[in-house]
Amino acid sequence: MDPAEVELLTETLRKTMTTVASGPALDTALLELGWRELLAEYPEVAVPTVFRLLGETGAHASVLTDVVGAVPLPYAGGRWVEWGQGATAPGAGLDEELPLRLLPAGRPVPVAAGRRAVGWWLLGTGRAMLTLARGHALDRVQFGRPLASFQAVRHRLAETLVALEGAEAVLAVAEDGLGSLLAKAAAGQAALTAARHCQQVLGGIGFTAEHPLHRHVRRAVVLDGLLGSARELTREAGALLRAEGAAPRLVQL
Amino acid sequence: MSAFTTAAEFRTAVQAWLDEHDLAPGPDRSLDAQVAQLARVRRALFDADWMRYGWPERVGGLGGPAVLRAVLGEEVATRGLAEPGIYSMVEVLTPTLISYASPDLAAEMVPLLLSGREQWCQGFSEPGSGSDLASLTTRAVPQGDHWVVNGQKVWTSLAQYAARCVLLTRTAPGHDGITAFFVDMDTPGITVRPLRTMHGVDEFAEVFFDDVIVPADRMLGRPGDGWRLAMDLLPHERSTCFWHRVAHLYTRLDRLLDQTEAPDDAALGAAYLALHTVRCRSHATQRRLADGAALGPETSVDKVLLATAEQQLFETVRDLLPGVVELTGSPWRSEYLYARAATIYGGTAEIQRNIIARRLLDLGRD
Repeated sequence: MDPAEVELLTETLRKTMTTVASGPALDTALLELGWRELLAEYPEVAVPTVFRLLGETGAHASVLTDVVGAVPLPYAGGRWVEWGQGATAPGAGLDEELPLRLLPAGRPVPVAAGRRAVGWWLLGTGRAMLTLARGHALDRVQFGRPLASFQAVRHRLAETLVALEGAEAVLAVAEDGLGSLLAKAAAGQAALTAARHCQQVLGGIGFTAEHPLHRHVRRAVVLDGLLGSARELTREAGALLRAEGAAPRLVQL
Repeated sequence: MSAFTTAAEFRTAVQAWLDEHDLAPGPDRSLDAQVAQLARVRRALFDADWMRYGWPERVGGLGGPAVLRAVLGEEVATRGLAEPGIYSMVEVLTPTLISYASPDLAAEMVPLLLSGREQWCQGFSEPGSGSDLASLTTRAVPQGDHWVVNGQKVWTSLAQYAARCVLLTRTAPGHDGITAFFVDMDTPGITVRPLRTMHGVDEFAEVFFDDVIVPADRMLGRPGDGWRLAMDLLPHERSTCFWHRVAHLYTRLDRLLDQTEAPDDAALGAAYLALHTVRCRSHATQRRLADGAALGPETSVDKVLLATAEQQLFETVRDLLPGVVELTGSPWRSEYLYARAATIYGGTAEIQRNIIARRLLDLGRD
């Protein structure tokens, strides 16, 4: 696919995700747009584009099951979850919109592709939070000046962008198991960094349920644990380094 | 033209050559020895042509893409042949000469640097002008067919070894009043005083200019081009130099893995993730450069990621080799201390965040 086709696809998907209700309706709409064919033919375009847009728009769909299969998924802490198909039952989860259900047990499944997908989703979620916080910093006036003119605020937003850009670079080159593990860890860490800084910049309004921030914060926290949290994956990378006795150089010029 | 069509092909050839030619440094870790080793490595690599790839033919190069220089520097850093900070100085100085010196001057001078026959330095910072570089006050005044320079520079790396200096001077008020010269360091009136540093390697110096006469044909660009010259070199520093530095930091993580008896998977993994992140980012920057993109303020992201990763790595070293930095004479001590400068040199971490806020996030003025 050439860049113009990707851009057209992105805009179509974005429009769909912002106009169709998340959940079963969005699943259907994505199927009608040819999501499964796209995933089969151009996974390197399909996964980053669709999952990142889910994050940016705050929408959700069951597309992860198309990537990893409709199987129990490992979650942080040795737990297992299921991505429910069909209608969303208000769950006990922190992110009530996501149809994630706790399961008593599961069996190991290949997770590299799923980690890349959730990584792109986390990245999009982080971008969404940064957009909200940036807008607020420019609009909101205190002490007779926009918040964006205060260096403490600017540096929090800069720090957020650095984390997101770093994670995107890691995601963009992730291929093998270790690369995907690192990409998921970097994306989880970046989304949690974005949540922390953006929540602070948004102040009181960002703590209300009527402001959209809290939905992205919940999503970032819940998705970070899915297929292994940044904390767990980082520890796993460390164990692997120790076993190998050297640090793998994963990308080459 | 370059005989190599891909970076991988070039890497394989360089590796084979380095396997055959032992350029390993001796046991002496003094700065004198490091600089002599650097000259030896450059000279050997230049004479064997490796150092010439990626530079244009009109300055003694053999052409080919800049990525070849990144690959060569990675090999030099990975094998520990030369200290990466001073090795990478050519990446900043050579493009400056290519862009701003007269073609004859660049053709005459650049081979002297690439071949290790000379070291050069950059006279930028001053006692009163650090982060606020544009406030510099070292003055250049025209007099007949030459200029007379008076003032003081500081934090000038390798000035005590340098044969030439890329010098920023003030010729008029404001950003447009900064003018650059290529100055011979043996000109009467120049005094160099090395600075003692916290990490024990006295690579920085103060440089005093007292009625120093500089020929007019040594001006780099035109009067007032100095600020643009300084801004133009940042992307050079942040592409190829960073790739070299990242390669060096990987060797230190390997060394830590080898030496630690108090392993901590979370800390090792976090240090590795930070290094991998900046490597991926630097990789993307190299790719953009290869595609012909002009690098700009987005390289401040690379800079923040690198400085953060470097400091995290050396804090992990101290944590996982308890007492080594504090109580033994190991080289880790100097490297640990030097990492503290990573958020200061080349534009402080705060300046980088200011640039990101202003130029990348478009937050307006602060």
